[in-house]
Amino acid sequence: MKPWRSLHWSTLLIAAVLMAVSPGSAGAADVIKFGVATPLSGPAAPWGIPHKGATELIFDEINAQGGLEVGGKKYKLEVVAYDHKYVIAEGVATVNRLISKDGVHFISVLGGTVVKAIEETVNETRTLNLPLAYADGLVSPKNPYTFHSFPSPPETVTFWNWIKQNHPSIKRVASITPNDDTGWWSLKVETNYVAKLGYEVVAREFFERPVTDFNPLLLRVLAQKPDIISVLAAPAGSVGLIVKQARVLGFKGRFIHLGQMDTSVVAGIAGKENVEGTWVHGYVQTPLPEKIKSWQARYTKKHGEWNATSIDFANPALAFVAAVKKAQSLDPKKIAEALSTVEFENLWGKAHFGGKDYYGIGNQIIYPMPFSEVKDGVAQLVVQLKPPHN
Amino acid sequence: MTAALLVQSTVIGLSIGSIYILMALGLTLMFGMMHIINFAHGAIYMLGAFVIYYVFFQWGAPYFAALVLAMLLLGAFGYLVERSIYRPIKGGIEPTLVALLALTTLLQAAGYPVFGTLDKHVPPVFSGTRNVLGVMISVERLMIIPIAGVLVVSLYLFINKTRMGAAMRAIEQDKEAAALQGVNVNVVNGLAFAVGFALAAAAGALMAPIFKLDPMMGEQPLLKAFIIIILGGLGSIPGAILGGLILGLIDSIVATALGAEPAFLLSFVFIILLLLFRPTGLFGHAP
Repeated sequence: MKPWRSLHWSTLLIAAVLMAVSPGSAGAADVIKFGVATPLSGPAAPWGIPHKGATELIFDEINAQGGLEVGGKKYKLEVVAYDHKYVIAEGVATVNRLISKDGVHFISVLGGTVVKAIEETVNETRTLNLPLAYADGLVSPKNPYTFHSFPSPPETVTFWNWIKQNHPSIKRVASITPNDDTGWWSLKVETNYVAKLGYEVVAREFFERPVTDFNPLLLRVLAQKPDIISVLAAPAGSVGLIVKQARVLGFKGRFIHLGQMDTSVVAGIAGKENVEGTWVHGYVQTPLPEKIKSWQARYTKKHGEWNATSIDFANPALAFVAAVKKAQSLDPKKIAEALSTVEFENLWGKAHFGGKDYYGIGNQIIYPMPFSEVKDGVAQLVVQLKPPHN
Repeated sequence: MTAALLVQSTVIGLSIGSIYILMALGLTLMFGMMHIINFAHGAIYMLGAFVIYYVFFQWGAPYFAALVLAMLLLGAFGYLVERSIYRPIKGGIEPTLVALLALTTLLQAAGYPVFGTLDKHVPPVFSGTRNVLGVMISVERLMIIPIAGVLVVSLYLFINKTRMGAAMRAIEQDKEAAALQGVNVNVVNGLAFAVGFALAAAAGALMAPIFKLDPMMGEQPLLKAFIIIILGGLGSIPGAILGGLILGLIDSIVATALGAEPAFLLSFVFIILLLLFRPTGLFGHAP
């Protein structure tokens, strides 16, 4: 009888474990799943890794305090992350998987082309999306469940006013951008804006994302003798090659990237001296306010390595948590309503969703955007600016 | 387009062309020998670059020692692939293509966990720039031209002046007749895989300091190499040289004059037109 008894107890034990971890168990019902579809490999990984890392850190800290209280009940926050490699087909597949298989109602997707491809899915399933992506028409009344959580070209172009005021010798602008939705929109917004400010746009060039040899394109650009080259919506690896090859061809002017890029990756490829003077939005290494220093210490402790991109890419998680707290509901519609009105603290200061005058809907994050300049190889904060619209 | 810009884009085109030649050499050799398109060429190019990253940049070995090591290691891997994939499926063209495609996917997928997800870089081996006919070219790019030349001449001598090369040519012309004459077809095929993989590794190792490194970095060179060997004639080494130079010049001159998109389109239009009149490419011959 003994073997039977031990079998009996072991069967019960296995059944108990299975019940505890099964999706339908009482424990699992107290979890809020938040989907992150982002490039964790490939050229855009310098964006995707801190996107996931920042979300995980924020959720871990809330879970350590007992979870997020909604309607008098505490919920654990869980990140369900997939790598879409910045490939449209993989992006669509990962989002479908998040919504259909994982039962996720709240997501954050990185990448303009990917976000455009899942627009209808998000709207039809009423999934709340807090993307980090540049795409024309993404922030629009037809996408009421999409709350763009990073400053877009219509916001970041305001830095050109600062350039005009502080560097009046810059007059001729060349723009280089990837040949896709994200690039076209970024270029259109920026070139229209700088032209209105009185700059001469001397070149508008597009490249395919896998390209590594930019010499012909740069030869064409440099023939127009620009004072500054604006690289838009391109990952750090591509920018590094553009900077390196432009310097070899004799370009002495500045570079600017008003999307977001890790300047240390650029310096690694292009050489530290070649990146000097580059202006960038959303990537600051120093000086960091106390609040961000604390974030830096916590992020480094959790992930083993500091990544300054995580500062601004914490926005989706911070906004989501603030909205759930305000809505006191897990209904995406109610959380969306809360997002429209909630004011919350991100790592740079007070943030909210606005921009209705520009986009026709107030679903664009607004906060004092950080702009930095690479000095001695380090991205140093030069100014924080509010977007031209609120 | 001014005359100065034309000269500059021609110089750039020749420098790009020499890179393209390097990319295409191993691919055309393997096709010439075994009539298979080595889909793993791009993945081996990537592995060659990563050998440089670790052996030269991380561990501090001399660059050219790392280059030779990359060629030896991946050449040996090529021999193993011939033994473990090509030979067991008895040289069937379609199964070999699928197997090499699977190998590529496997190597690329393994690349991220092994090499990391962020782009890597290798510091320049040759620093500085030179003014060539009014255009500044980095010395590292200029050095590609003599190195590509050395590899082309070495390959030519190997195929045309050695017993093993003669055996390769014999197999290319008639495998059964070569076997009847005492040529060990398996050994020679293994060697062709080894040389083809070593050339892909050399191309990747030479490009590592010029471009950036990631597990997918071989895809674009593979595409270019395909275009070149079709243009030059499948299996023809002179064709790969001329095809590489033509494509480099189109990519540079047309892109400088009209933009990158028209250059991309024009390179395909050129190939379609050429194949209409010469279906075997510039130096290819009918099977």
